[in-house]
Order: sequence, then C-alpha cells, then structure tokens
Amino acid sequence: MTTSPSDTATPTPDPLADYAAQVAEAVGGEVVPAKATVKVKVPTDRWVEALTIARDELGLVFFSWLSAVDWSNQVEVGDPPEEEVEERIELLCTVADISDGRRVTFSTDLDHDQPVVDSLIDVYPGADWHERETWEMFGVDFVGHPNLVHLYLPERFIGNPLRKSFPLLSREVKPWPGKVDVEGMPEEEEQESPTTENPGR
Amino acid sequence: MSIDHDTLRHLSEVSVAVELETPEMTLNIGPQHPSTHGVLRLVAKVDGERCYDVQPVIGYMHRGYEKLSEVRTYPQITTIINRIDWVSGYANEIPFIVAAERLMELEVPERAQYIRLILTEMARIASHLVFNASYPLELGAATPLFFALRERERVLDLLEGVTGGRFHPNFNRIGGVKPAYGAGSQTRKLAQDLPKGFLAETRQAMDRVLEVCDELEDLVAGNEIILARTKGIGTIPPEVAAAYGVSGPNLRASGVRFDLRKVEDYLPYDRFDWEVPVGENGDCWDRWWVRLQEIRQSAKIIQQAIDSIPSGPLQAKVPKVIKVPKGETYVRAENPKGEMGYYLISEGGLGPYRLKIRSASFSNISILPWLLEGVLVPDIIAIMGSLDFVLGDVDR
Amino acid sequence: MIADLLSNFWVLLAVKVLIVAALIPVAGLVVGFAELKLSAKMQSRVGPYFAGGRWGWAQLLADGIKFFQKEDIVPENADRPVFKIAPALVLMGAVALWVVIPWGPGLVFRDLDVGIFYALAISSISTIGVLMAGWASANKYSLIGGLRAAGQLIAYELPLVLAVVGVVIMAGTMSLEGIVRAQAGWFGEGGPGLPFVIPQFVGFVIFMIAALAELTRIPFDMPIAESELVMGYLTEYSGFRFLFFFLAEFSNMFALSAIAATAFLGGYWMPGLTESQLTFAGPLILVAKVMVLVFLMIWFRWTFPRLREDQLQTLAWKWLIPIALVNIVATGILKVVI
Repeated sequence: MTTSPSDTATPTPDPLADYAAQVAEAVGGEVVPAKATVKVKVPTDRWVEALTIARDELGLVFFSWLSAVDWSNQVEVGDPPEEEVEERIELLCTVADISDGRRVTFSTDLDHDQPVVDSLIDVYPGADWHERETWEMFGVDFVGHPNLVHLYLPERFIGNPLRKSFPLLSREVKPWPGKVDVEGMPEEEEQESPTTENPGR
Repeated sequence: MSIDHDTLRHLSEVSVAVELETPEMTLNIGPQHPSTHGVLRLVAKVDGERCYDVQPVIGYMHRGYEKLSEVRTYPQITTIINRIDWVSGYANEIPFIVAAERLMELEVPERAQYIRLILTEMARIASHLVFNASYPLELGAATPLFFALRERERVLDLLEGVTGGRFHPNFNRIGGVKPAYGAGSQTRKLAQDLPKGFLAETRQAMDRVLEVCDELEDLVAGNEIILARTKGIGTIPPEVAAAYGVSGPNLRASGVRFDLRKVEDYLPYDRFDWEVPVGENGDCWDRWWVRLQEIRQSAKIIQQAIDSIPSGPLQAKVPKVIKVPKGETYVRAENPKGEMGYYLISEGGLGPYRLKIRSASFSNISILPWLLEGVLVPDIIAIMGSLDFVLGDVDR
Repeated sequence: MIADLLSNFWVLLAVKVLIVAALIPVAGLVVGFAELKLSAKMQSRVGPYFAGGRWGWAQLLADGIKFFQKEDIVPENADRPVFKIAPALVLMGAVALWVVIPWGPGLVFRDLDVGIFYALAISSISTIGVLMAGWASANKYSLIGGLRAAGQLIAYELPLVLAVVGVVIMAGTMSLEGIVRAQAGWFGEGGPGLPFVIPQFVGFVIFMIAALAELTRIPFDMPIAESELVMGYLTEYSGFRFLFFFLAEFSNMFALSAIAATAFLGGYWMPGLTESQLTFAGPLILVAKVMVLVFLMIWFRWTFPRLREDQLQTLAWKWLIPIALVNIVATGILKVVI
C-alpha cells in the first residue's frame, strides 16, 4: 500500500516519508515533497548512477516512464506558474518494483536552453522510446542514445511541442471558447436525496 | 582416423557457406493492415518467412493530449482522456480524476467509489472480450469473435445505461460520479442515481459473461491448432518485461503476481475477495489465458460489489469552479491494458501545468523489436495480437 | 432427330461444354450459399437475409453482379498478361475437374481410364494459377502468398495421390466409373456393396485433409491469410477477376468433394437401387454425398484457426505421407489375403 486518500488528509507519521528518506540516502539525492508520491531529486551527473542503484539495490526493476517538465515563466499556452520559478527543464523518471507496489519518481534539473543528460538505455532498455519522445517534445539531448530520431512527429518537424514556448496553432487562430466550465455543480440539499434506499436495484 | 570437434565445426560452416543465398526483403506491415489494430506500422526485414529485424513506427495517431490538457480545465480533460484507450474508455478516467482529487484532498463518497469500481471492471471485461474476439481471428479462427462480441455488447449496453456512452462515458466528476441523466440541477433527484434495475441486470450479465468464458475456453483452449500456434511463441521473461515497462496482463503472463489493484488503493478493491491470475511461461498462450481468467475475476468482483454497494450521495462537496491546489502527484491504476498513470503538476490554475500521461500500450509495444527478432512472419501477427494494444493508447 | 444430332461429336461436345459451363456457377453458388448460411448458424448470426426476398438466397448473385460492375484494376508494375491470365487458369483447373465425375451409370462427360489420376493432376493447375497471380501482382504480400501456395501444393499433392492409391488397389481400376462399380459390386452383383470409406478410412481422412490444403481453406489458408498477408495472392485483384478466384474456390470445393464422394463414399451409387433408377437418382445421390463433405469443410473452416507454414509442412511430410504409405502396404496385404 502506498497511500490512500484518507492518509493524505491526516498528517500522521507517513511510512512513505520514511521510504522516501531511505531512497534519497541510497542514491544521494534529496526528497522533494509530492502528494502520495516518493519524489527524489538527484544531481544531473548522478542521474544514471542513481537509477542504477535504484534498479540494483532498491529493487525498482520496473521502468514505468520518463518525461520532462518545462518550468518557464513565459508561456504561450495555458497558465504560467503561480509564482516566479527558476527556468529549467525538469526530467522525471518513475521506476517501480513488481512485488510490493513501491514506486519512486526521480527528477533532475537540466539547463533550460541546452538540456543534456546521459541516456538510461543501458540501465532500462525500455527507456528507448521514452527518451526519444522526451527528445522530440522537449529537446532534451540524451547522450549515449543510439537512435535519437522522431517518434511521433514527421521527420522534418521543427520545434519541441511540449515546451511552454511552443504555441498551439489552433489557439492562435481562435481563442478557446470553453475556458470556464459552464456546468454548475449540484446544490447542497439535493446531495442528500438517495440515502434511505439503494437505487439501481 | 578421427576428426576433432573443431574440424567438424569448420566443416559445417563450409556447408552453410555454399547454401543458396537469398536476398533480404523489406516487408512493410501497416499502417493500413488488417491486424495492426489501427495504424501501427512495422518495418520488417524478412528472409523468406523468417524475419530478423522489426522496427515499429508509431505516431500516425498522435493527438498531443499532453499539450492539449495544458489548455483545458480539469473537467474538460476527462473528455479527451476517454479517447486514449477507447476500448476501455471508462477506465482511463479513473487515475486522472483520483490524481486531481488527491491534490484537492477530497473525500469521495463510498457509493461513488463503488460505482466507479463496478464500471471500471465492466470496462475491463469489455476490453478483454475484444481481445478474446480479435486474437483468435488473427490466428484465423473467426467464430470466437461472435461469441465474445455478443457478450461485450451486453456489457456495453449496461455501461451505456448508466453513463450515456458506450465508448466514451465521460462519467466521472472530480469528487464523485456524474448523476446518471438529467443535466439541469433542478431535476436532479433520486432518479439520477443508477438506472432502475441496473444492479440486477448487471448481475445477470455477469453470469452470462462467466458462461461465455466457459464457451470461449472450450472453443479456443481445446483447439490443438491454437495451442500449436501460441505455446512457446513470443516468450517474455519477467526481467525483460519489467525493464521494458511491460505491464498488466502481459507482465502477469510472465509469472509475476503483481496487480496494481492489490497494491494501490485508488478504488476499494481490498474489500473484495479475488485473485490475481498469472501465467507460467510468458508466451502468447499465457497472455490469452491470463486475460480470460481476469474476465472471470472481474465478474466476481462486480458481483461482490453489487452485493455490498452502500447508499449515499454520489458527489463530494466541490466548489463550482474547480481549481486544484498547487502540488504534484502520480497516480497509477491497473487498466485493462496495463499500468495507466497520470503525473499531474498543478500550479493552482484552472488546468494542470503539466500532465504526463503514462499509457500502458506504449510501453507494452516498445518491447516489439526485442521480441520479434528472428520469428516467422505468421508469428509476428500472433505475438503482436497477444500484447493487446490499442493505437490510441500508444500514440496518445 | 435429337439422337442424330447428339451422335455428332462436335454437337455432343458443345452440349457437354454448355452443361459444364452452366453447372459450375450453379455449384459455386450452392456451395457459397451453404457457406454463408452455415457459418452464420455456427456463429449465432442470421446471415444474408434480404436479397431475393427469402433467406437471402440471391445474395451471391447480387455479389456477382456487383463484382462485374467494379473496375478491373491492374497494378502499374504488374506483369500484365500473367496477371490477367492467372484467374482464368485457376478457373480452368476447376472446370477440367468436372470432366471425369460420374453422375450416374454412363452419365459422365468423359470416362477416362486414368480418371482419378487425371482429376488429381488437373486439380494442381489451379495452384500454378495462384503462383502466377502471386508473382505477377508485384506485391510482396502476393508474392509470399503465391510461394506459400506453391510449397503447399508440393507438400500436399503427395498425400492426396497416395491416399487414393489404396482405393485404386481395392477397385483394380483408375476409372472413376469403375471405382463406383467396384464399390457397388463388392459382395457380388446385387449384394449390399461396400463404400471404400470403411476399409479405407485412413485414406479418406488423409484425402480430406490434403484436399483442404489443396483448396487453401482454413486450417490451410496460409496463401491467403487475411490477418498476415492482407489477402495473399488475391491482394491486388478486383472486380470480376477476383470473382473468378472465388468461383474457382467454391467449384473446386464441390469438384474435389465429388471425387472424394466417388472414391470413398460410392459416388452416385446407393444400395437397393437398380441401374435404371440410378440413372435418374444418381446425380441427386452424388450431390447429397458431396454436400455432406462440403458441410465438413465448412465446419472446419469456421472452427479452426490456421496453421503456420512450417507446421503445415511438418504435418504433410512427417505424418500424412508416412501414414499414407503404411496404408498402401496394408491395403496391398489385405487385397492379397482376400
């Protein structure tokens, strides 16, 4: 068991926090707060090493996914961050075990304009396609990846679509009409109606 | 006179060298092909019937949902994530909704959780029945298709009765589930809960599903040719499966007793008595068998959930305009195809700052180049079909 | 007057050709319709329902007309003459089979002395047509399909012939008419007779399996294999050429079943009927027996998946051929003992 919604509501001693601290110590990183999720930030030069430790010593053999986040104060689409952030590309990689349900999300900060990191392909072969995706969507260069070519997009596509600086063309043409959700939520008193019997029988 | 082993080996090499050389041929399978489940393309280098290099080409159905979700509000996103794995659209919604609810620290009413659980399992049954329909067809047997799809239609009808949609229910709301029908808040009364007779009909439908499982087992498992086509074909060892991120029934077929429904608690699965079926060898046959058993287990779960579904409200109290507080979380769920997860980063706005969608089929088919090396052309289809992927789930 | 006309060789030939030409589409339609309806029954469907008003009996006619209306597409890189001849060749093999099938005492287009071997030899012509179609289409799927068909022909021609050898030994003749008479008169003139399926059951099973392979029907439909090769050698065909292949398949199915019925089930003969009665009842009896075999083939088609190419070869070379050989030896010994 990792968490339940009720766990998150009560700030009692959390087994997850203990585990996060353990992982951080083992890989030489620091725990980043995240809800119901163990997130450990490691320095970029320890990226491959940390994941190797995770696989070999922590038993996190299951490669779940790898992707990135573009932290940027100037955004073309969507909302900018609540408060000013340090501009960077945050690389995220989640690995898990296949027995107890432990999972850890590793993260590392890369340079915003020239993101470079070592490839995980020797540690987890499954990282192949995920790194290709991250390369084409964020422009992250994975050193040691043998086949860094477009995965989804056409070969001659220019730009990194998931960067915040990449405009969404359809939004440029016509502003999004559904920005505000128009459907109202149920009123309070109507919530209580089906309590005595069990409808649906 | 004696000939040592080195000389023998040398001699055998000589005989190979004088064999007739045939040039290789590049066989382009897809993107339009009867058994690539949509628009997957495989570039296979074949030598006669033997293929020694396969490169999948994806992206023909890339719709950019991760980018689109950055410009939508939370309730709007559920409509697009329905379309990721359209064979089990309902199950896609759950992890996203749960992720948003965790960040908002919402307590979802019991009854809503049960309804979610029942519908998720029905989506799983529908999805696995599609697999049970299409997989024998890919091996050449057309008849199981009709047995399986007939039952699936029954399940989808029930799903439609509750949600209004067969494929894209868009039924979950942050904090609960959408009342069954009637859009205006004035008319929302008792009648907007589950439709009348739904639970009884679902129970009957589950009995029928269990029967059709027996029929399918008779039809497929007793068939020597199917056994010959699937046993020992496309074996995935558990270590390799995990390293490639192969999840769900494909991972369990390799003998790993690991089910996210048991270890994560996004829905109250721990209240029911059910088992995780696992395979032995991780070949195509085990993948078929595991899915068939999962249909049975899901039917069992649904029947137990129907027995114990509590009364109560369907919605937690949520503000009119949903804003998710700043934070990040990863929620993964056991979807019919495997692990489906959403890494949600909220900056406190109307929509997410970043939504990473981890879809099962993407990782499941990333193992194809490894798996298809050196197999025969008919086995490409047999192996590909046994992984049970959906292109919308691959490309997102 | 009519008898005079019929005694003229050319007139008689023309009449016979006309009859065959009329019978083949009819047989194709009957078998095709049986396939549609039986498969529907097996899969809890209704099947064709509207065309023709009742049971959808005109469905295949409508399909045929539709095919004729369609454009005849020839791929740009195709070997045009070969591509165009191939369907005709396939159909020819099917037509030529009909020559030797005896429909009743003396009711046969041509009673050849080597009838059964003629039938088996001529039935392989279709496979050459298939190979031509596969090669000329300039399509890799078609090519693989055509080559698979060729491999299948070589592998299954042998058990097909060997299975029949037992029958030939027992009957002492290769004429199909003679084989029927041998079965009818096994226990003497007017006796109960003996369909060769009883002493030659092994041969019958092998024959049917090999015939399925020869017809490239499931479980031996690798040359077509929709889920692998799109449509195999048929991939590039459209319109009436595609229809030719279809017609050839169904008429071949009928003809090979007729050969099997003649060699193993007694053909047009039925115990208790006199020679003159058989002249009229013979065709009906034969058709009834053929439909039983056709039903078997359809049943297999909708029950089994397809084998893999190597499994098909294994089945032929390691199982069917040795068993057929043993069967021949056993039949020889039996014949000597009796």
